Amino acid sequence: MTVASLATDAATARRSRYGSISRDRRWALRWSYFFLTVFAIFFLMPPVYMLITSLKTSQEISAATDPWWVHNPTLGNYIELLTSPTYLAFFRNSALVSVIVVVITMLISVPAAFALSRMRFWGSATLATGVFLTYLIPETLLFIPLFKMFALVNEYTGIQLINRWWVLLLLYPTLTVPFCTWIMIGYFASIPKELDEAALMDGANYRQILTRVFIPVALPGLIAATIFAFTVSWAQFLYPLAFTTSADQLVLPVGIVTSLIKGDVFNWGQIMTGALLGAAPPLIIYAFLMDYYIAGLTAGATKG
Amino acid sequence: MVDAALQTPSIARGASRRSALRRALRRKSTIAFLMTLPLILLVALLVLYPALYSLHLATLNKSMERFVGFGNFLFLFKRETFWMVVQQSCIFAITAVIFKALIGFIVAHFVHNIPSKGQRKWRGMLLVPWVIPPAMSCLAWLWLFDPSYSAFNWILDRLSIAAVPWTGDANWARFSVILVNVWIGAPFFMIMYLAALKSVPEQLYEAAAIDGANWWQRMWYVTLPMMRNIMAITALFSLIVTFANFDIVRILTAGGPVDRTHVFATWAFRVGIEGGDLPLGASVSLFMVPILTVAAIFILRDIHRRASEMS
Amino acid sequence: MRKSKLSRRRFLATTAASTAVIAMPHVRGVYAAGKLSMGFWDHWVPGANNATTALVKEWAEKEKVEVQIDYIPSQGNKLLITITAEAQAGSGHDILSFPSWQPADHARSLEPVDDIMAQLIKQNGAVTPIVEYLAKPGGRWLAVPSTVGSQIKGPCSRIDLMKQHAGIDVQSLYPAGAPPKADSWTLDALLKAAEACHKAGFAFGIGLGTTSDSVDTAGAIFQSFGAALVDAKGDVTVKSDVVRQALDYYVRLARFFPPDAPAWDDSSNNKWLVSGRGALIMNPPSAWAVAKRDAPQVAEQCWTHGMPAGPKGRYAPFLPYFWGIWNFSKNKSAAKSLLVHLSQRSSAEKMVAASGGYDLPSFASFTDFKTWADEAPPKGTLYHYPNSHNHQILSMAASPAPPKIAVQIYTQGLMTKMTVRHLQGEPMEKTLAWAESEIEGFMRT
Repeated sequence: MTVASLATDAATARRSRYGSISRDRRWALRWSYFFLTVFAIFFLMPPVYMLITSLKTSQEISAATDPWWVHNPTLGNYIELLTSPTYLAFFRNSALVSVIVVVITMLISVPAAFALSRMRFWGSATLATGVFLTYLIPETLLFIPLFKMFALVNEYTGIQLINRWWVLLLLYPTLTVPFCTWIMIGYFASIPKELDEAALMDGANYRQILTRVFIPVALPGLIAATIFAFTVSWAQFLYPLAFTTSADQLVLPVGIVTSLIKGDVFNWGQIMTGALLGAAPPLIIYAFLMDYYIAGLTAGATKG
Repeated sequence: MVDAALQTPSIARGASRRSALRRALRRKSTIAFLMTLPLILLVALLVLYPALYSLHLATLNKSMERFVGFGNFLFLFKRETFWMVVQQSCIFAITAVIFKALIGFIVAHFVHNIPSKGQRKWRGMLLVPWVIPPAMSCLAWLWLFDPSYSAFNWILDRLSIAAVPWTGDANWARFSVILVNVWIGAPFFMIMYLAALKSVPEQLYEAAAIDGANWWQRMWYVTLPMMRNIMAITALFSLIVTFANFDIVRILTAGGPVDRTHVFATWAFRVGIEGGDLPLGASVSLFMVPILTVAAIFILRDIHRRASEMS
Repeated sequence: MRKSKLSRRRFLATTAASTAVIAMPHVRGVYAAGKLSMGFWDHWVPGANNATTALVKEWAEKEKVEVQIDYIPSQGNKLLITITAEAQAGSGHDILSFPSWQPADHARSLEPVDDIMAQLIKQNGAVTPIVEYLAKPGGRWLAVPSTVGSQIKGPCSRIDLMKQHAGIDVQSLYPAGAPPKADSWTLDALLKAAEACHKAGFAFGIGLGTTSDSVDTAGAIFQSFGAALVDAKGDVTVKSDVVRQALDYYVRLARFFPPDAPAWDDSSNNKWLVSGRGALIMNPPSAWAVAKRDAPQVAEQCWTHGMPAGPKGRYAPFLPYFWGIWNFSKNKSAAKSLLVHLSQRSSAEKMVAASGGYDLPSFASFTDFKTWADEAPPKGTLYHYPNSHNHQILSMAASPAPPKIAVQIYTQGLMTKMTVRHLQGEPMEKTLAWAESEIEGFMRT
């Protein structure tokens, strides 16, 4: 019965006028493209608006003639920001913090994920779930006691932690490590155990198994975790808001929101420019490494 | 597997078999422990300890000199604003997650429908809101909602519709905050659901089609059951993140008007830091943990149950 | 925010100092007087910070102190957060800017400055009573009034619109270069004008949010009725007749405000004026300064003048800033010396000029600087900004409540929230009961 009906279907398909796609399928495609366009407009409209506003002078913005189009485009905002030492300092701080945090995160998560997915030891199961549960403790709860803790450290050791950008290097990993560990556990768990055994037969120790076998095989997951850690670090708002004050210690999100917006005088052209430039690095990385990013997110979830 | 592989050489050694075995086991555990040590230290020092400290902080009085036990919590329970914040946070989180899941699901289906060549491009475009730092995109939305210069109101004006007070009226403000949250979060759901859709075997769909199922029945009996795990995990993750959200409300409405858009995080900030009462702020924040834990337990239990059913 | 650290100088200085010490033990090192770090309020008028930086550097060179200046914005309550954080941590800058109720709120952590205040008062004359009230809780001076940032949030009106729609000629009520003739400028007149302008489509842009612009205006109006939510002794006086009168009046006035006023922040009224939609806002000259740049046709019709008078007096919304020294500072003598330098007449003049007339010194004798008379267009637009003829009383919203309670009433925007609740239909008694319960919360220790 199946074969016969399949044959009939094939015949029907062959008989249709427009090649191999049936009429229903074509309509479905048209509707799909239509709705996708609608959603694309919805999702892309704010960044496009940011771009449009960033090309306007503040006179044009105040005049409010047409918010959706630029009549006298100017690169003035961009030039002002890119030559402003304050803004460049924000950029530099953000870049430094994000890159270093990514390195720290990888150094912590990868070994931990390896140990948790491969080596069964006492408490490993609870630790694996427990890691995930750290996300239940929100940052708004933690920053007050953390502040007092850092002040105590300053008192006893003289190491200045408040209002220094490097304190973020301690704090951001608490946000990135759990998820990256979880992604890596998912990836590592999916690597066939035969590969371990083969390596062990060849006389490898754990470090070599990790570096020679796991990391190359799980490279997509590693890249995804790296991108995730970078994006999260770059976008952080609350911790830097609470812990850094001086202009040269700020990172980009806090810098833009607190120093480009001066009380009751908003310079929207510059703010939008600043925001767009601030969103640029994650967007660029994403544009180039999109496949890894998506693969990493989804694989970690579907396998974990 | 690795254990067995490691034990074989030690057993083969013979005479000092037992001590070698123990040494080997100990070695493996120590290595494993050392590998997870940084993680444990990080979480213990910078997450668990501060959390416990804030628990202690919540039992102190305002000037942090006296121990008042549950005093802060009892005070909160009597305040109208507190219950409003609880209600707002829950409605906000649940509504936002539902819409994110819905939109993510619908868009994922459309992306799945189009030929694979074009999917990459569309996927890329649609994930943009999630990649942009929320603080930056909130600024754009703030400007879009501005009372005097809103670009949306400009369009409405051209269509002769009255201007909408996006952040000025309590209900519109709640709508706007949820809208921005959905805008930022829906792409994440889309990506997850798309991956899950791809992992549903084609044969199931063909079998259903042969049995004469229409698209709704295919959805209900094939797609959704296969995607349940993913849906549960993403919903949980998103619920936690949305519930504890700070950036969006802070930048868009700062909790106003008249505290109608405050969620736990922003209100804790307001009473704790801006109101100079750190223990009270800690108490408000702590309130999030039980609610989140309950949600987490429910969903995790559901996942584990299904996992054990399947295996 | 800008930080100025004299780093190259320090490098040279350290090298020079070390060689000098080795070679000639009697020669003093270049920075013998130590280091001083300060966090000042980041001025909203572009370029105004430079005057402060210059003055500090001038002093630092003379006194051989190494300085580090941070400009901290008040946007997003960043300044408030910094103050709280440093008070909690017991470490941070040596000197900070403290707005309004903050010195009294952090009285325990501030270094008394009775000595320099005595000297400054003898030299410059008396300070405004409200400033003394705020900086001298318990009889000891805890902070020095700062020129930078102190502002009056009085009316800034559109001359043309007020004349055309409300029939009020603000220029004749408050002529440039002469004392005001404003007896007819009362709260009733304000109400009538608000209604007229609202009907004409040019509503008064007064906010009902919880940021300082909105709270200061509500505070002044309440004080014009003699209404206080908590009196000086700390008793709750919410359910008094004067509070009812004040709330009733303000709600009647608020019906003519823009519909989304409850969500306004400190920039909303500026935008309202600059976009040409408003006939009057309550703001210091920053809005006019922006209009000068972006909408000159609006700017040349702006006139800053005094508040209307209420039954119990003419009160102007005032927001003073102070410079305070933490008592954990390691260089208090240098800090005090700097504050004296910044409070000199010449220093104040420079700061006022750099801010385009925005900053208001708190010493009575300083309100006659030429800046206010000269700012234009239109000429004389800021003449009545500094209240030089003393025809209104500078009020601090939430006074005369005890500082710890007042700071809460202020930061939580209790008065504006009451107005919004009653405006949106809640019966007055219910609103008053709610306010009472909120104040009970503020009274927790």
